[in-house]
Amino acid sequence: MREVSVIGVGMIPFAKYREKTLAEIGWPAVKAAIEDAGVDKKDIEAAYCGSALGGMMSGQRVLKQLGITGLPITNVENACSSSSSAFRQAYIAVAAGVYDVVLVLGVEKLTKFGGGTLPLEKEDFEVTHGLVMPALYGMRARRYMHDHGLTKEQLASVAVKAHKHGAKNEDAQYRNEVTLEEVLGAREIADPFTLLHCCPSGDGASAVVIASAEKAKQFTTKPVRVACSEVNSGKYMTGFRDMTTPEITVRGAKQAYEEAAIGPDDVDVAEVHDAFTIAELLYYEALGFCDKGESAKLLEDGDTSIGGRIPINPSGGLLSKGHPIGATGTAQIVEVVRQLRGQSGNRQVEGAKVGLTHCTGGGISGFDHGACSIHMFSV
Amino acid sequence: MAQTAENIHEKYPLDGAALRLATDGTPTLIGLECADCGTRAFPPAPVCPECMSENVRDFELPDSGSLYTWSVVHVAPKGWNVPYIAGYVDLPQSVRVFAHIVGVDAADLEMDMAVTLTTTVVGEGENGTVESYAFTPAKG
Repeated sequence: MREVSVIGVGMIPFAKYREKTLAEIGWPAVKAAIEDAGVDKKDIEAAYCGSALGGMMSGQRVLKQLGITGLPITNVENACSSSSSAFRQAYIAVAAGVYDVVLVLGVEKLTKFGGGTLPLEKEDFEVTHGLVMPALYGMRARRYMHDHGLTKEQLASVAVKAHKHGAKNEDAQYRNEVTLEEVLGAREIADPFTLLHCCPSGDGASAVVIASAEKAKQFTTKPVRVACSEVNSGKYMTGFRDMTTPEITVRGAKQAYEEAAIGPDDVDVAEVHDAFTIAELLYYEALGFCDKGESAKLLEDGDTSIGGRIPINPSGGLLSKGHPIGATGTAQIVEVVRQLRGQSGNRQVEGAKVGLTHCTGGGISGFDHGACSIHMFSV
Repeated sequence: MAQTAENIHEKYPLDGAALRLATDGTPTLIGLECADCGTRAFPPAPVCPECMSENVRDFELPDSGSLYTWSVVHVAPKGWNVPYIAGYVDLPQSVRVFAHIVGVDAADLEMDMAVTLTTTVVGEGENGTVESYAFTPAKG
């Protein structure tokens, strides 16, 4: 397998673009990534598009706006992991030597559903019985609070940290700082969560251009190496399971660290899937940034804030940057690549050399999550 | 697109093959038991998720178990009666069931408390109220 590099990234600010079509939301991110890469659109040999709810041919609908057509375009759906799974497919194709330069994009328009919780698959038994994503994470949170003594205030402080970071990100949907009291006092969604414990619904797009390490030299002197690319599905479990241990992330992290020959202590910056406050804490542990039950302390000590030992979600994460689900995976990669290039301005993680992205999702019965992707990057 | 009540089954019992009601209304949950490998699962299905055998049979789940966790749901698609308490109930023989928790104030719920099977109205569909199985704190 060949070495693969990221040579271009782009995204649009996550927001509610009710008046725009999916294609209109998508193309500016793609154009930005191509310009950032310094490639001609004719250099792009294939494209992979991640979208969960964008409908048929999302990639073609976006790319025709820019006249990027007549090449193999593959559309990938994997819930929240859609564009990170698309990135994995692109990575495999380049690493295997099939293509030299490939485009990956993620695009989503959730405002078409008119608000409320994410529409889930109606064939699913638990969904037909009233399971919604905030409740699923809320149940994880309640069990974790019971098992590990996590307080409501500690849980709410995840959102405070997220917004502190997001306020510095011009691509974030929410750019306001929030207080602990505001998080605790917001409208109830699914106990123990208020509105500010939950990622917002919205629209967005993000894109990445990758190339073989050899080819990348033609376009840039500062490629970002893809250190590992890992995508997994959850294990279907019909019986009891520990909902405070996200097994798919634990399993994926082990494989990712082995593949990259990098350990959690070597990671300088990470974007993790904080769809709800409890998720960020669970993933600190699952990704090995701290021991089981220690995540609240890691947060309280400032270790995961910008300036701390292992800054998590400097972009603001899903909670503050937003979560147009199919666009999230590649948006995480955009953030980490910019961090590793030193282009993150007032939210720069100083000296970051190794970055990790983690994107997991899919509320279906019997799974911790349906899909999970973990990527690592280095300079 | 407006949210609709289509997430809620219109038929009673809501749960199809997963719920059996005696003539006096006493509910029983039905799971799958694989005759070849012994795997048990809920809800029932025509094939074993462990060994792929189609030699499966109905299995009556115990009607009492323990509450693994819960959440009071305030925001849900149109049709559901909010707020409601969603929970996971662990039944003996290693089956976990997602269910509404009823007949109790959320403030009085406790982790791992004993709960027992019942039925309840969970929402409003186009053809009237929608009922489903649920669990409620065990008496005594």
